[in-house]
Amino acid sequence: MDHSTSKSCTNANHDDKSLLHWTQWQLLDSVLPTGGFAHSFGLESALQSNLIKQPEDLKPFIIQVLDNTGSLLLPFVHTLNKSPDTETWTRLDNLLEATLTNEIARKASATQGSALLRVAASVFREITELKLIRERFIGSGLVFFHHACVFGLLTGLLGFDGRMAQRAYIFMTMRDVLSAATRLNVVGPIAASVLQHEIASAAEGIVEKWRDRNVEDACQTNPLLDTVQGCHAYLFSRLFCS
Amino acid sequence: MAETETETTSGVVTVEKVRGRSTITRCFFKYPLKLILPKKVGSSQVDAVWIYALSYGGGIVSGDQISCKISVGDGCTASFTTQASTKVYKSVDSKCSEQVLEAIIGNEAFLALIPDPVTCFSTARYSQKQNFRIFSCSNLVVVDWITSGRYQSGERWDFTSYKSTNCIYLDNDRPIFIDSVLLEQSLVCDIAERMQCYQVIAMVILLGPKLKNLQNQIKEVVKKMMTVKLRPPTTNFGRYAKSEAQHDRFVPDLIASCSTFGPQGIGSVIRVTATTTEAVYAFLRTHLSSLEMFLGAPPYCQSGI
Repeated sequence: MDHSTSKSCTNANHDDKSLLHWTQWQLLDSVLPTGGFAHSFGLESALQSNLIKQPEDLKPFIIQVLDNTGSLLLPFVHTLNKSPDTETWTRLDNLLEATLTNEIARKASATQGSALLRVAASVFREITELKLIRERFIGSGLVFFHHACVFGLLTGLLGFDGRMAQRAYIFMTMRDVLSAATRLNVVGPIAASVLQHEIASAAEGIVEKWRDRNVEDACQTNPLLDTVQGCHAYLFSRLFCS
Repeated sequence: MAETETETTSGVVTVEKVRGRSTITRCFFKYPLKLILPKKVGSSQVDAVWIYALSYGGGIVSGDQISCKISVGDGCTASFTTQASTKVYKSVDSKCSEQVLEAIIGNEAFLALIPDPVTCFSTARYSQKQNFRIFSCSNLVVVDWITSGRYQSGERWDFTSYKSTNCIYLDNDRPIFIDSVLLEQSLVCDIAERMQCYQVIAMVILLGPKLKNLQNQIKEVVKKMMTVKLRPPTTNFGRYAKSEAQHDRFVPDLIASCSTFGPQGIGSVIRVTATTTEAVYAFLRTHLSSLEMFLGAPPYCQSGI
């Protein structure tokens, strides 16, 4: 065994910026066990309401979901990414609880956020705040662990810059809706990948439009989708939680 | 509770108990708002006051700023409504029209805000904000809705921008419901495309102990109604679909969903969208009829027929 080679492999002299790439990719990889696969973002409901009649309807649907995600949730991601402290997090988490007036979306957000925090606390052990926050607040009833807030906090503690964090949030949403679309047999996996590339430009436009706003300006831009997503609990047979 | 009035305040209404009955002890209004307080709207057996808000010229003109404060004292009941839909005329010089409502509802008090819908004409820019400050035993009904425009004349979602924000604060400063809807023409997607074939969007908030039964009732009714309208697509959906079979299925002409909100689920919000205004009037008339026992008259019975 050549000692010098093995030494350079394990010696962590890589700069933080390079390592951040690995963290970013891990966070965006769908293999991260956060349970995003259980949610369809209203797609299943939209299908059963016949608002999506054919595969061509999927692209505008996804773009509208991303636009609504941008307008409603990016302000929370942005603010917490900038100020990843406990006081801001508890305040914004409670505000998001009041803002997610759609019960289906609200529960999905809390479930996904809890899962993300649990995974992040285990994986990013060097960020002790994650474990401490989780232990302090879990079961307390003081916070709801909403996904956009946990994500903003996490990216802030990890050192992602704001634009990257907000772009990542939109990317993850797009990734999960497309995944739901293939599982609901709206499109096949290759068609979904084609769509993902086609939508990228619109998605970047959405990030540019809604980034860096205050939470007071958070709003929803698609009341039809909101109404339809709220019907998810009435679906007689369903594959997804939301 | 200090009232902060400024030069821009267009209207103030204060309801208090006088000799055991809900009484309007203060009513102020100035252009562009007009308030009417008819005495005989509801049954005199029921303790409630009715306030009608009117706009001069039948609508809101570009650049109008209207702000109104309502205070409903402990144990009082007030109903705040309109005579007709609120028309928002086209924007001139890109000016935005704005309405702001600040309401304080005391303990065991009841405020029903049950207006006709807002209709924004082509190129209109409009924003409204409604803040409600409540206590744990306050009761609140809010109907907030908009039509696509003069859709029978072909104006469908043709306005430039509409924003409606409703905020409910418990015990002065705890936000329990913050909803802001923004419909703005955008490069991403114009409003008509977003709304598909639907011409009306409505939101109904029910909150408080007196409304618990109605909340449960509506929740069941909406669930039953929607379960019938929603059907899983045939297993042939997808690349191998027979597209004719799928197109045969119509979209529901009315979609509704109901969510609870707030600590211990004290509130419910029902969202409704429909292809006609009449369908939503019928929905409101039917499902809010039991409010007659609190208000003295059932909501929307003279409207939209």
